[in-house]
Amino acid sequence: MNKLLWILACITFIYAGEPISPIPLHHGADIKKAKLGKELFFDTILSKDNTISCLSCHDLSNGGSDSRTVSSGFSGREGNIQSLTVFNAKYNFKQFWNGRAANLLEQAKEPLNNPAEHNMNPQALEEKLNNSSYYKSRFKKVYSIDTIAYAYILDAIVEFEKALTTPNSKFDKYLREEEELSEEEKEGYTLFKQNGCITCHNGINIGGNSFQKMGTFLEYKSQQEYPDRYDVTGKKAHRNVFKVPTLRNIALTAPYFHDGSAKNLQEAVKSMSQYNLGLILSDEETKKIVSFLNTLTGEMPKILEP
Amino acid sequence: MKFSKLIFFVLSMGILSSLALVYFYTMQRDFTRNHREFLLCINELKNKQASLSYSILQDSLFTYSNQDRISHEREALLQSYKTLSNSLLLKEDTYAPVLKDLRTLKVLIDENIENIEEYLMLNAAVKNSLIFLTRHVEIATLFEKEDLMLYIQANKILKQFNNTLSMQDLDYISGKDLLLRSDSANDDVQNFIKNFNMHSSYLLQKYPHFLHTTKLILENTINNSINKTGDYFSELALNDFKALDLFAVVLFALFIISTLLIIILLLKYFKENKKLTETTKSLEYSISHDHLTDLSNRKAFVDDIKMLQNPHLLIINIDGFKNINDIYGNSIGNSLLRALAEFLKAKMLHITKSKVYRIGGDEFGILFDTIDEEKALEIARKLEKEIALHDFIIQNLEIHIIVSISSNNIAPILENADLALKLIKKDLTNRVIQYKDELNLKKSVKQNLKTIQIVKNALNEDRVVPYFQPIVNLQTLKIEKYEALVRIKLPGGTVLSPYLFLDTSKQTSYYYDLTKIMIEKTIQTAKKFPNYRFSINISMIDILNQEITQALFEQFNKNFSIASRIDIEILESEHIKEISEVQEFIKKLHSYGSKVLIDDFGSGYSNFSYFADLDIDIIKIDGSIIQEITTNERKHHMLKSIYKFSKGMGLLNIAEFVETREMAILLKEIGVEYAQGYYFGHPQEEPLKDDTVSL
Repeated sequence: MNKLLWILACITFIYAGEPISPIPLHHGADIKKAKLGKELFFDTILSKDNTISCLSCHDLSNGGSDSRTVSSGFSGREGNIQSLTVFNAKYNFKQFWNGRAANLLEQAKEPLNNPAEHNMNPQALEEKLNNSSYYKSRFKKVYSIDTIAYAYILDAIVEFEKALTTPNSKFDKYLREEEELSEEEKEGYTLFKQNGCITCHNGINIGGNSFQKMGTFLEYKSQQEYPDRYDVTGKKAHRNVFKVPTLRNIALTAPYFHDGSAKNLQEAVKSMSQYNLGLILSDEETKKIVSFLNTLTGEMPKILEP
Repeated sequence: MKFSKLIFFVLSMGILSSLALVYFYTMQRDFTRNHREFLLCINELKNKQASLSYSILQDSLFTYSNQDRISHEREALLQSYKTLSNSLLLKEDTYAPVLKDLRTLKVLIDENIENIEEYLMLNAAVKNSLIFLTRHVEIATLFEKEDLMLYIQANKILKQFNNTLSMQDLDYISGKDLLLRSDSANDDVQNFIKNFNMHSSYLLQKYPHFLHTTKLILENTINNSINKTGDYFSELALNDFKALDLFAVVLFALFIISTLLIIILLLKYFKENKKLTETTKSLEYSISHDHLTDLSNRKAFVDDIKMLQNPHLLIINIDGFKNINDIYGNSIGNSLLRALAEFLKAKMLHITKSKVYRIGGDEFGILFDTIDEEKALEIARKLEKEIALHDFIIQNLEIHIIVSISSNNIAPILENADLALKLIKKDLTNRVIQYKDELNLKKSVKQNLKTIQIVKNALNEDRVVPYFQPIVNLQTLKIEKYEALVRIKLPGGTVLSPYLFLDTSKQTSYYYDLTKIMIEKTIQTAKKFPNYRFSINISMIDILNQEITQALFEQFNKNFSIASRIDIEILESEHIKEISEVQEFIKKLHSYGSKVLIDDFGSGYSNFSYFADLDIDIIKIDGSIIQEITTNERKHHMLKSIYKFSKGMGLLNIAEFVETREMAILLKEIGVEYAQGYYFGHPQEEPLKDDTVSL
């Protein structure tokens, strides 16, 4: 056992480099399935009244999330929290703000079956798609099945989401030593680490690998209650605890925070420093960090190309 | 146990053990595989847990790190737990208790994961404030001008916090005053102190919980639980392994037993086979060998002769061997045969292509392949002489024997040699003979067989009949009686005289049938001709035959009134020893009124002593005397003597073969009472109605 730990230690020290790792250039998803998933993702057929698609709240041309504070779902009913981006979602350790879904598959079920969103159920979905000769032939082609089952619908969507990665951001290229950051951006990254942002925003998704309290240092008060970690664990200490969101493509996914209270990055960075780090950032530091954050915007997923 | 049952048993054992072997193989393969997989899973789980702990440890020591690893390792841990809990082996009842252990383990893992989540939050809080303090002190520019002590103090406090983290030991901070104070009126200083103290007190507040949580995670609880589960599993598996061992032992025992049985079977088989071969050999030997002399026997001879191209046979027969047996006894007789066998073998040893056989009781054969006829004959002559000169010493007795040898190379080899041997037996001057077709020996045999066949057919088809020859009273010239003479009528009408068949048939049982038919049919004729007497021929030996005497007296009883007219002519053949039986017979005949004749008196065995012992009525004088009474003075005298003797004894005479009137007159002159012959009448199917004859 000790020997094993020692070996592990050696291995980890070799790789203990940057706390942030670049997104792989190839997403590795099954293209055929992903393309079918894409069609489904874009199609309002997945909602009861043919008005809502996945795309309605995950604007793929706009960072993969909703620019509205909360999304508007079935019959205009509003959601209860800021929509998260689907880009690079597969790198998150849990899905949803409070991490109630363990993976993409579990996540995909929820909006489809939520009365306030797609307002569907597995039977209805199967019936609707099986009535479509188009989808029948598509599924037959991709999955070699004659009757479309719920599991296959989810699988296609999940496969599409897996293909939604945004590699080759300027920062990733910097990590791969392919491109230099500007002085300001570099200083921003250093500040990002020196000020402790990195303690929560690390890893491939620069976030998305732990739950943290919104307002670790100073209590953060929201206008209303949101489905937080408490909803999952029932522990009082988990009030206002959320999954740390990814900072990938952060420039594209305003507004920020679970409540969408920060309208731009400057605001978000300042707020975050104050509440979670107990630190008041100067405008200049804020500017530098924001310019670092701007390097995190990657290339649009290839699968979105028409 | 029967052989077939044993084979069946062994076969079943074989099949059973094969099946058991296959079953055992698959069972142990599955079991070992599952067992190995389970233990691998346990190890995997341990490894995952170790790496997770390690990552946490690392993360807790570093100010910041890539925490993706923690979440990946957490997932991996859960995955490996899932694999473990889905292990096929756990579906077996034996391992159900392990499931309980696993559930406990799962609770621990879940708790650990919760702790890690907690840790991550505390870690962020602690590290952020630590970073803050570090940077706060680092970027402050006021110390140089204002208060070096404050700077030193701040660094000291920072060091305590850092030590606490790197040593994971609360002692560095607990109960210590870790706040900055200053009387400085400088706002910047106060502001610095305020911010410092804010994070410092935050750290003081968070550190214990953080360290506690870290320790909880790094404790070996899960590892111990996994070990415990693994040990428990191994303990349970031990029983299964023991069962497998036992099974293997049983299987091995089964295999050994089967093998032993097969060996026993094989041994038994070989033993039986050997016995069988020996039996077959001895049987074959005894079939082809004579057990007295150890020579090849007649069967071997018959078989061997077929294989030869030019067989030549010598048959050696001991003359009068019956006498040797009678004189010395069978034991010495047998020893003599053995000695002769050895003698012949020794003599033939140097002669190539020769083999000695015992063909019959006292008959030996020497078979040659391709030998010159003269050479064979020479060997035969030499052998005959050597045997005659040889002293056979048997049980201190010196025995001399004489042998007859016939030599033959003409098929049928054995039969021809036998015929030649029979011929030479009658000739006392020559002891060696070469068979030649010119000897015509076969013909008589054929003739005999033909005769026997004729007699047989005649009996079956009722063609045996009595012919009657009249016997005339010379004084009255009246036919008084008839002699019944046996005849066989052939289907073509030819009538056979007895000399053509009687001698031959005497060698067979048909002779008795002939006699019986003669008795029966003569009595029938006698019934029809009440004025005549009839006489039937019976040989002296017939009288000693119960079958014939009974048949005769049965007929007499049946035809009691006729019996007194039936006379019996006894033909003397050889000397009769059992004279009392003949006396008895004659006495019985007389009781019926029957008369007794002596036939053919004056020839052959004629013996006057009969007349002293036997109560004879009539003497029939033999034809050899009668035929010459007119030409031969001596025969004339013999006739007169017999007549005188008969008169004296009170017997009557019948003269047979009376063929001329001259003979009849002479007989009448002498006084002979009766005559029969062609002069008076030939034998015919029925007696004449007219009984008068003329002279």
